Amino acid sequence: MAGILRPLAGRAVQALTVALLVGLVSFALMHALPGDPAMRIAASRYGPDLMTAEAAERVRAELGLDRPMPVQLAEWVGRLATFDLGRSLVTGAPVAEELEIQLGASLWLAGAALALSMALGLPAGLLAGMRAGRLPDHLALAAAVLLRALPVFVTGLVLIIVFAVWLGWLPAAGFGGWRDLLLPGLTLAFGLAALSSRVTRDATAAVLAAPYVAFARTKGLPERLVVLRHGVRNAAIPVVAVLGLQLVYLVEGMVVVESLFAYPGIGHALVHAIIARDVPMVQGTALAMGLTFVLVNAVVDLLCAALDPRQVAR
Amino acid sequence: MSAHLEVDRLRVASRDGVLVHDVSFAVRPGVPLTLLGESGSGKSLVVQAIMGTLPAELAASGRIALDGRDLPGLPEAERRTLWGRRIALLPQEPWLALDPTMRVLGQVAEVYRHVRGRPAGDSRAEGRARLAGLGLADAVHRYPFQLSGGMCQRVALAIARAADADLLLADEPTKGLDAALRDGVAAGLRGEADRGRSLITITHDVTVARVLGGEVGVMLDGRLVEYGPAAEVLARPRHDYTRRLLAAEPVAWPGRDRPVPGDPVIRGAGIAKTFGGRTVLDGVDVEVRAGEVVAVLGPSGSGKSTLGNILLGLVPADAGEVRRGPGLAPLRFQKVYQDPPGAFAPQRTLRRALADVGRRHGVAWEVFEGLMRRFRLGPGLLDRRPGQLSGGELQRFALARVLALNPAFLFADEPTSRLDPITQREVADLLHELAGERRLGVLLVTHEAAMAANLAHRVLALEPAAAG
Repeated sequence: MAGILRPLAGRAVQALTVALLVGLVSFALMHALPGDPAMRIAASRYGPDLMTAEAAERVRAELGLDRPMPVQLAEWVGRLATFDLGRSLVTGAPVAEELEIQLGASLWLAGAALALSMALGLPAGLLAGMRAGRLPDHLALAAAVLLRALPVFVTGLVLIIVFAVWLGWLPAAGFGGWRDLLLPGLTLAFGLAALSSRVTRDATAAVLAAPYVAFARTKGLPERLVVLRHGVRNAAIPVVAVLGLQLVYLVEGMVVVESLFAYPGIGHALVHAIIARDVPMVQGTALAMGLTFVLVNAVVDLLCAALDPRQVAR
Repeated sequence: MSAHLEVDRLRVASRDGVLVHDVSFAVRPGVPLTLLGESGSGKSLVVQAIMGTLPAELAASGRIALDGRDLPGLPEAERRTLWGRRIALLPQEPWLALDPTMRVLGQVAEVYRHVRGRPAGDSRAEGRARLAGLGLADAVHRYPFQLSGGMCQRVALAIARAADADLLLADEPTKGLDAALRDGVAAGLRGEADRGRSLITITHDVTVARVLGGEVGVMLDGRLVEYGPAAEVLARPRHDYTRRLLAAEPVAWPGRDRPVPGDPVIRGAGIAKTFGGRTVLDGVDVEVRAGEVVAVLGPSGSGKSTLGNILLGLVPADAGEVRRGPGLAPLRFQKVYQDPPGAFAPQRTLRRALADVGRRHGVAWEVFEGLMRRFRLGPGLLDRRPGQLSGGELQRFALARVLALNPAFLFADEPTSRLDPITQREVADLLHELAGERRLGVLLVTHEAAMAANLAHRVLALEPAAAG
């Protein structure tokens, strides 16, 4: 039992570190950006036409933007300790409320992308691994290299042109039903499947060549049971382990894809908050992403420990 | 339960040539057959041809008949139904052949459940009983990585027995086991034969053939060069290769003259080490002098390798003191590893492996060339990768790489345990000569008492570690 708890305790410390670092770095980066934050915030609140020098001064005074930076940062950290993320400088609404809506939307998109990438990557990897070194393997490798090398916005635009503009099957943008999830989800899934198919391929080929699979055959088990009882679980270990890493790609891709498909998620919100110099929103969004990352990796740790007894003993 | 196997003019060929030439023998219940030979002699191919597991690029011809039924003529699916039920295979290195993520009991019980079609509860009870019968009652809920090599070997035997096949094929069953475990496994196999099973064992260990008795076949370059009753073949070998094989056994080695040792090069006093609550070394004193071979003898887990690693400073001791000879640079204390392929980077040529050492430590290339001549290593081998060399060649390269650094002390960690008997003798001769020639102090770790007695000035016997 202690074997499982130790990595989880490690993840808890990591979560704390992530929270502090994310807050600090996003604060520092926001203040390193050129331009006057007060004028940007005023422009976002009242629109560029109504923005005047007095409006900017009012914003500065109201939000205390002329106070020393360490004081502003300390204030954020102090509030964070009471689980208060502050209010948006633009809308005045609590950051936590806005995040709740946007994070929810993003989780739907991430879930769809992950499911689609499994549907694409696992069969492709299995097929390539069973025919390692032959034509299906080479084709799967070529496809994976191409899809991973293409920037997300290029994949997304190609999908929009083909499925929304030419064929007219799916909407180019929006939020609501499953049809809206399909194109942005697929855009992310291609990049994810590129990596997971290669990991699946290597794991499948390695397990099929393993002495324990050969022994399972010669001890008399039929092939179906050899694969089910001795193949699947061993091959799944590296595939699951790499899921945690895939999340980096997913978060990165989400910022681009949500803007591209006008999808109201957390990545979209982050871009807007940066433009508007809405520091609490930027900090809150980055914090939510960072903590999600830690949480998912903790879940991946647990899954790996459940699959592979050697990891618990170590 | 009885299986008669007849192999007549078996031939295994690849596109590049014939690998097994016209091998014929017969196996009947109760009389085990042992195929002796070094790696590459084709003995594994014979077993694979009987089992029907030859790689696709190899083709077998000739007759292999089990109770009169010709096996190669059967469709593949039908051949597979014989696996486990009529023919069982005891795999080599069972710690690799057991599923690392499944508990031991499951791996035994599934044979009863899925091969013999018994209900799940019965299968588990049967599995438990079989494991208990082999002294593994405490291990049923453990995973293979929690077992020793000898325990894994017994689990594999339980699995091979479970389906009750009457022909048992054992593929190098003692590979990687120490002397005590090796004798236990050989005796266990002998017991299978005594119970009326037909048994074919392939090995390069003459001791295994001696314990098994029955009949012996000696293979060389794909041919069965000698075949007859074990008592006769092992006592009065007719073929020259069989004679060399028997002469390569450490007990048969001629005595050696031992140079007079000089000053101590390294000395350890009161060395103690505990791993995870288990005491492996408890106040051991050891001293190695220039030109002297000191053998450390003991079963697996007795701390032999740990002692050498402590002397070299690779592992910290819990207590005790290590003192090196005065004026000897740290680089002059070196180690040769047990598993030659594991001691070289697999994707780099031997030339690169040696040149890197030369560049790092300022050793001229001529030094390596001289050592290679001395060790009978042709320059043609330099552009190959480690996987393309034999174990003996690689181990000689490992020695050359170490000796280029002009060591004063060499820790040889079971340097011959993974080698064929004839190669093992060559490497042992080399170690003996080097100790005399170069006034090298050698700490030789081994589990072969005969080798220790033959090579060493002094033998330090370590007791098996106390439990708890």
